[in-house]
Amino acid sequence: MFASLASILRNDRATSVFLLLLTVVTVLASLANLLFPEGSALHVSTYTLGLLGKYMTYALLAVAVDLIWGYCGILSLGHTAFFALGGYAMGMYLMRQIGNRGVYGDPVLPDFMVFLNWDTLPWYWHGFDMFWFAALMVLVAPAILAFVFGWLAFRSRVTGVYFSIITQALTYALLLAFFRNEMGFGGNNGLTDFKDLLGFDLQANTTRVALFISSAVALAAGVIACRFIISSRFGRVIQAIRDSESRTRFIGYRVDNYKLWLFVFSAMLAGIAGALYVPQVGIINPGEFAPINSIEAVVWVAVGGRGTLYGAVIGAFLVNYAKTYFTIALPEIWLYALGGLFVISTLFLPQGVVGLMNKVMQRKQEARV
Amino acid sequence: MKLPNALEKFADREHVFDFVNTGTQGPKVDISHNVILYLEDISVSFDGFKALNDLTMYIGAGELRCIIGPNGAGKTTMMDVITGKTRPDTGTAWFGQSINLLQKSEPEIAEAGIGRKFQKPTVFQMHSVFENLELAMAGNKSVWTTLFARMTPMQLERINEVMEIIGLQEHQHALAGSLSHGQKQWLEIGMLLMQNPTLLLVDEPVAGMTPQETERTAELLVSLAGKHSVVVVEHDMDFVRSIARTVTVLHEGSVLAEGPIDVVQNDPRVIEVYLGE
Amino acid sequence: MPQTRITPLALMASLLRNCLRRTPSSVRQLILLTGLLIALPAHALAADKPIADTPNVDQTNIEVDAVEDVDPPISFESLLDPLAKASFSEKEKVVDMIVEEKFSGSRKVLAAFLDNALYFDAQTGQVLIISESEGQEDSYFDAISGDALSGYSGDAKKIRTNNGLRKKLRGAIARFDLDDDNAVVRLGAIKQLRDDPDDEIMPLLREQLKDETNEEVIEQLTVTLAIFDLNSDDADVRLSAVQRLDGELGNDVYNRIKILTEEEQDSQVKSAALSVMTRIEGKRSFYAGLETTFFGLSFGSVLVLSAIGLAITFGVMGVINMAHGELMMLGAYTTFVIQQMMPDHIGLSILLSIPAAFLVSGLVGIAIERGIVRFLYGRPLETLLATFGVSLILQQVVRSIFSPLNRSVQTPEMMSGLLRINEIFAITYNRLYILIFTLIVFAGLLLILNRTSLGLKVRAVSQNRQMAKAIGVRTDRVDALTFGLGSGVAGIAGVALSQLTNVGPNLGQSYIIDSFMVVVFGGVGNLWGTLIAGFGLGIFNKILEPYAGAVLAKIFILVFIILFIQRRKQGLFPQKGRAAEDH
Repeated sequence: MFASLASILRNDRATSVFLLLLTVVTVLASLANLLFPEGSALHVSTYTLGLLGKYMTYALLAVAVDLIWGYCGILSLGHTAFFALGGYAMGMYLMRQIGNRGVYGDPVLPDFMVFLNWDTLPWYWHGFDMFWFAALMVLVAPAILAFVFGWLAFRSRVTGVYFSIITQALTYALLLAFFRNEMGFGGNNGLTDFKDLLGFDLQANTTRVALFISSAVALAAGVIACRFIISSRFGRVIQAIRDSESRTRFIGYRVDNYKLWLFVFSAMLAGIAGALYVPQVGIINPGEFAPINSIEAVVWVAVGGRGTLYGAVIGAFLVNYAKTYFTIALPEIWLYALGGLFVISTLFLPQGVVGLMNKVMQRKQEARV
Repeated sequence: MKLPNALEKFADREHVFDFVNTGTQGPKVDISHNVILYLEDISVSFDGFKALNDLTMYIGAGELRCIIGPNGAGKTTMMDVITGKTRPDTGTAWFGQSINLLQKSEPEIAEAGIGRKFQKPTVFQMHSVFENLELAMAGNKSVWTTLFARMTPMQLERINEVMEIIGLQEHQHALAGSLSHGQKQWLEIGMLLMQNPTLLLVDEPVAGMTPQETERTAELLVSLAGKHSVVVVEHDMDFVRSIARTVTVLHEGSVLAEGPIDVVQNDPRVIEVYLGE
Repeated sequence: MPQTRITPLALMASLLRNCLRRTPSSVRQLILLTGLLIALPAHALAADKPIADTPNVDQTNIEVDAVEDVDPPISFESLLDPLAKASFSEKEKVVDMIVEEKFSGSRKVLAAFLDNALYFDAQTGQVLIISESEGQEDSYFDAISGDALSGYSGDAKKIRTNNGLRKKLRGAIARFDLDDDNAVVRLGAIKQLRDDPDDEIMPLLREQLKDETNEEVIEQLTVTLAIFDLNSDDADVRLSAVQRLDGELGNDVYNRIKILTEEEQDSQVKSAALSVMTRIEGKRSFYAGLETTFFGLSFGSVLVLSAIGLAITFGVMGVINMAHGELMMLGAYTTFVIQQMMPDHIGLSILLSIPAAFLVSGLVGIAIERGIVRFLYGRPLETLLATFGVSLILQQVVRSIFSPLNRSVQTPEMMSGLLRINEIFAITYNRLYILIFTLIVFAGLLLILNRTSLGLKVRAVSQNRQMAKAIGVRTDRVDALTFGLGSGVAGIAGVALSQLTNVGPNLGQSYIIDSFMVVVFGGVGNLWGTLIAGFGLGIFNKILEPYAGAVLAKIFILVFIILFIQRRKQGLFPQKGRAAEDH
């Protein structure tokens, strides 16, 4: 594993540069937040840090989407379902940590259950008071969903737009389901009012910095893992599947299995992203399942440049920064801008920003020659 | 018939290679009756159109068979049935004595030892020549194996051999998409060789090749026969004549005539089908 | 006899008059014809209304009656005047006498009495009827003459009633109505008695039965009497009553028979009741099934309408148009705008909206095709993303122009109300019209695709683009027109949707997933598949709903389709042949 990490760093310049940059930004931002007092010119506010941390979880989601779309041609329009499931698993842990500090003061039941007059904890809430269990579920819940869904879909060769449409239906069905109070996930309001994580106060500055650094580490680990997969023979097989699925099958590869495991892995990445996202924004509700979120995640990848992992990260940062800026400065404009981004990136930037940069660099090089 | 030097070497190496991989190969084909492929009473219809109509055909072990027939005679559909892409409405298809092709998926059939070259050359455009051959290489193709796979020196040697055979050694790092049509044909044949199948299905191998290339392809196919069984679909009658011992003529989804090329070519029914009423 | 809630002739007529004044003669004829078709039943139905609500019409009747009544021995006035101070039992006697004497206007007085609208002036003792109507000041009438008392400003006190008196009054009014010349009025009276049986009036009904000629009235009379007879002490009477009630669907009949099956002592009557109840239950469940089917078809028609445009763009052209929902939304907003322009002619505005919405959505569709989609043929996933971007832009455009709030589009009179088939089965007109409309749109599309040269070219291009081009089909134009056609149909669907839900920027989003599901389920490229899938899913949904609730039913359907696509990804009616293999 370390050997392959070393070989990645040796052979893949773009990824190395990206990892270096990520480390520098993370360390500097954290130090600037912790060492310099508020008001200092060098201080990075906790708000900014939280925002960056949120972007990093989005970036991890984008990497997950890019892995299956950019490298294997599977366009999932329901990937935020996995993101949200990971988020809910983390949210359930955080809910249990509230204990008797809730409005109703029930030592076991979360507030919304007391409100619904439930007197016992539903079976699937058991175990979430332990962090290791919740952390396991962050991976297992999305993986199971992805496995069952993917097994059904890939085995019967549902591909292309059909797959996209049914993934959208999947996340839509989950959205409707999680809206129901009877599901026991807080219905409309979702899970919120979290107090602490592993005993650390979620409002405390140091906790926020720690979450920020965790997100950065998760992102880096995600990118390295994906890099490892892509540069293995497995990676060449999935790209072969992307380019000619039936040919790959005739050579003797069980395409369904390849797609399935890639899909499951990607879902787990999305789940981790969701789990890191929830404590930083302080809420998880069914809105996260909305199909539009999934499509937005695809656009991050498209804008950044699919088929390059760092492109997906760049896309996630660019689009989300634009979103944060526009929704505050010009809320009217945001949907126009986002809509325009979809159109422009598909029509004029098939390889995304990264593709554009490569082209410009190539031209410069040619000019020099 | 002369064999190129490289081919001799390849044929020798072959045995070793098989031996090394016995553990990971699929079920061995049982050819105790000297027949490798049984197609019996196979019918396929698309929307009322009968692409195959009670087709019955046997391919002997080690045989080189040419299949000819006018457009729409069912040649490609027959290949689809054998490779598991299309399921017939009726009939049976057995690979050797023990493998029922109708119950296997495409990768299973490929693993059992049937390789196919498509009419339109389909190589992986975004992979290099080397990578294309690597992907096609016989061996364990399960998810975990490929994830941690390392190239063994023997495998590397094998790839180099095949690249030499197909004449693409200089292009080994070029993307397959950038090759010419003929080169893609060769690459696909090379992939077939890497797969090391017992039965090769070759659909129009010489379309778009120069006469020299055509000749080389003919030599290659002939050399493969004996050790492998080869089924070639081709329109080019000169090519067919140069390689074929037995020719099967398909017409409207069933066998019209079968036999040595000279006999078949003089069969009035065959002439009628080709020259029209 | 069909009934509706409100379709007053006067309203219809004024609507028609207004329309006629401003339209050219040919259109005028058309409107006149449709108006006539609608007005005729409406007129018949208007008579069904309680007379108290329509004082003008009623008065003329009463005046005619008055001529026939010659010199009543007791004056109406002398009867009414003491009411103010009478006890309840005295009031009951007064009511009896009024019924006995049948003064002109008595029915109206009794009706007002029942409605707590009978008053007396504290000073003069004059008996008054106050008619209240919403948004207007109360108007006063003299109870005896029926004259309006404009500018009345006295101190009016209510003449009180109690339960016993109200029962008496209802009976009294029923007696009046039983004598009415209009069969509809008689029918109403009998129904009233059926709901609220009265020992005293039943003999009257038996009398009535001898003279009655109207079949419907006879039917209602015998049923009412039979229900009454179920209480008889005579087992034979009960038996024949039970037998008479065989096959009746009303809730009252069902409940009574059910009680009988449990409490009846006489074994013969009991067994008769049991078998009758089984048959009634059978019939009722049949109609319940019919109702579910209709609701399902109605929901299905919405699905079909929203999916059928998609069946063209996605099915025939292979283009994923995520902005399809927004094209429907544009159609709905077109309806809203046209209605705003002609607020007095709601029915006409809906009719005009159909072509207008087709044009608006169709043109926007063509713009999308020419501007974006045509550069992305053969790249379905990119098309999906780009058109999704378009959908976001269209939503925001609508938000900027019309505000993010929902707008409501009014439903014309002819589309509101209920078509009652029998006592337990009724269908709403708007759903019925939309169902019919869906079938018309479907038939139209089928005609276009199968019988016109555009349709021929569309099919040619969809099967083999290169070949079509080679034989001189201008594939560019065909693409644009096909896309425009699909989009225009989405616009028409929007018009229909505006009649069912509020019109808002998110209208389209809520239908897009359903629409795709229908198309995929039905089999891509197959209009019939879309139709059957839409109706099938609609019915399936409505069957599930009572057991699972609306949201769960929806989830079940989604899961079902997801599973179904796994088994048969080509849908219910797959395209066959080699071409389909590439999908």
